[in-house]
Amino acid sequence: MSFIIVIAMGGIALGAVVLALVNYRAMKKKNRKLERALRAHAEKADRSLTDKIKLSKTQLETAFDAITDYICAIDREYKIVRVNKSYADFVKFPIREILGRQCYEVFWKLSAPCERCPAGRTFLQGTPETKQRFSQRDLMNVRYFDVGTYPVAGADGATENVIEYIRDVTEEKNIMEQLIRSEKLATIGTMTAGIAHEMINPLSGISGTVTNMLQLPEKYGLNQKGVQRVSTLRDAAGRATMIMKDLLHLSRREDGTSVLTDINTIVKKAVNAVQLKGMSSIEYKLLLEKTLSKVLCDPVKIEQVVINMTTNAVQSIVEKRERATLEGKEHNGLIIISTQHVDDMVHIDIIDNGMGMSDEVKGKIFDPFFTTRAPGEGTGLGLSVCHRIVEEHNGRIVVESAGGLTTFSIILPVHRQA
Amino acid sequence: MYSILIVDDETSIRMMLYDYLEDKYEVLTAENAELGMRLCKERAFDMVISDVNMPGMKGPEFLSKVKKLRPATKTVLITAYNIDSYIRMAREYNITNIIPKTTPFNFLELDALVEGLLTQNIFGLFRYLLPGHTALGDYCIRSSSEAKQVREAVTDLFTEKLGTSGNMKLILDEIITNAVYHAPAYPDGTEKYPEYVEVQLQPDEFVYVECGHDAEKYGISITDNKGRLTKEMVLYKIDRQIAGEGILDDSGRGIHMSRLFSDRMIINISPNIKTEIILINYFSHKYRGYKPLYINEL
Repeated sequence: MSFIIVIAMGGIALGAVVLALVNYRAMKKKNRKLERALRAHAEKADRSLTDKIKLSKTQLETAFDAITDYICAIDREYKIVRVNKSYADFVKFPIREILGRQCYEVFWKLSAPCERCPAGRTFLQGTPETKQRFSQRDLMNVRYFDVGTYPVAGADGATENVIEYIRDVTEEKNIMEQLIRSEKLATIGTMTAGIAHEMINPLSGISGTVTNMLQLPEKYGLNQKGVQRVSTLRDAAGRATMIMKDLLHLSRREDGTSVLTDINTIVKKAVNAVQLKGMSSIEYKLLLEKTLSKVLCDPVKIEQVVINMTTNAVQSIVEKRERATLEGKEHNGLIIISTQHVDDMVHIDIIDNGMGMSDEVKGKIFDPFFTTRAPGEGTGLGLSVCHRIVEEHNGRIVVESAGGLTTFSIILPVHRQA
Repeated sequence: MYSILIVDDETSIRMMLYDYLEDKYEVLTAENAELGMRLCKERAFDMVISDVNMPGMKGPEFLSKVKKLRPATKTVLITAYNIDSYIRMAREYNITNIIPKTTPFNFLELDALVEGLLTQNIFGLFRYLLPGHTALGDYCIRSSSEAKQVREAVTDLFTEKLGTSGNMKLILDEIITNAVYHAPAYPDGTEKYPEYVEVQLQPDEFVYVECGHDAEKYGISITDNKGRLTKEMVLYKIDRQIAGEGILDDSGRGIHMSRLFSDRMIINISPNIKTEIILINYFSHKYRGYKPLYINEL
């Protein structure tokens, strides 16, 4: 009689310990104990090792599926033996329908392997291929992919599978192209400005000389026909200058300064700069977000905008108080200025409990020279100028007036680190 | 007869200025600074007008050399480029008059500037208006309350007579405040009146305001009777504000804003006697070009 203790892993027998020619009953008690312990240890080792391998497999599979780039493994017939989840999502088939099909058919929608297929070379040479650019075109657009292939050696050391690693670089490529385009545009802008200035110089001379000739035609020996022709030239020079001026305006980057600016500092400075009659009794609240992102702007101009808005708020409250006094009432003025970061924008809100405004007035406030106030009041720039300044900074001004509170929001884009 | 040298590499500009000025003045021209310098060494000119950008020596350096050689010569720059970007250079080379090359060219302005500098007769709004202009009114400011009344009266006047006051009401605040509060000072230079308080000016401290218009523009002149402002101070303030350094304090904001929001700002200074600031707006944007720099100090 013999005892067999199986040494196994994951249910597969790796070997056995044979205790031969033993009479169980004849075994000493000590030896029986040893036999049981040996059997238990073998079973325990099997369970523990199997668990570890299972966990490690799950980890790898999770990581494989978590990768957002597309990964597949193929054999020498280009048949897919394995794909990650992103791959299946991209080709819009369940994984089980993908396995066994050719990669060029599933992913690239082709009936034969791609020209210059890197997987083919990797199978031949057993070395990786990286960063091969491929494109895929459908009705609407083109997508670009960087493809890398890596050999997987089989038991005999020969390349059995190849891993295809496919990264979608369409966005990257677009951003890069945009960058190049905007750099080119900036260069063209600078060139245009230079050319426009050089053109304005002689145009001014032509126009001025022609003006002189029209003032005193006899001095220049001009007859009636000459005067006519020369005045056409003057108009032409004027038109050409106008075009140059428009061009300069379009390409204008020279005017003003652009500095990375802490908006909270500007707000504090602006509020201190406003000195108006009747403002001492107004309650001020500054709610400034401490971690506000910086804004690329012309600080002088933005400060002027905040000064103007604050001035408007003070004047609106003073006016309301004067009216209240006439009716024998009181009005406690309140101005709240807050800064906050909303999405990619910095908001400067200036809220007052002054006169408020009707929808009709709201529609007109950015018109040049529109005012509801008596002449001579205030040191602001006019809301139309504020509007222009904020637009120049790619921002906007939003006005709301409801429930006795008027809010002017100056909204400016946050500076993004390149 | 006064003599003027014109230096510009652009022939049409040289000829245009020559033709316009030759009836009143003795005019010579040169096409670059080196030739201009040779002429200045041979003889004296009452005035040299030079382009900024020329092959070889540039205008500012040339004019400062002329000044060194002949300090009595008046110097003026002329350019098609943005004058705002030349303010720092103007400070460095002590240049206070820069004419923009506009289309159409503003001959009347050139006339007023050249004649004013040559004859040292610089004061008065009406020198800058066309013949047949209209005087709209004049005012005397003797106290801070009168300052407020005059500001309102002037904007009302422009609105009533011309249908617009442009940005005048904005800049009047700044300039009249400067004249009332910052002109009067004690002999040691400290200012007498703090801003924003009610003040009654002394009889010799009054501020004079004059308004008028012609067919193409309207203007206002504000004169204090102290003349404490200097050309260096004006250039310093405008330069700081253009460079964005003025963000640290508000010094010079009034002058900068007035220049920004009017079509023309002319500053005339008779040191320790009076300062006149003239602000002009055109009814239409006829003279398309950059803002000039006109500071005349006797």
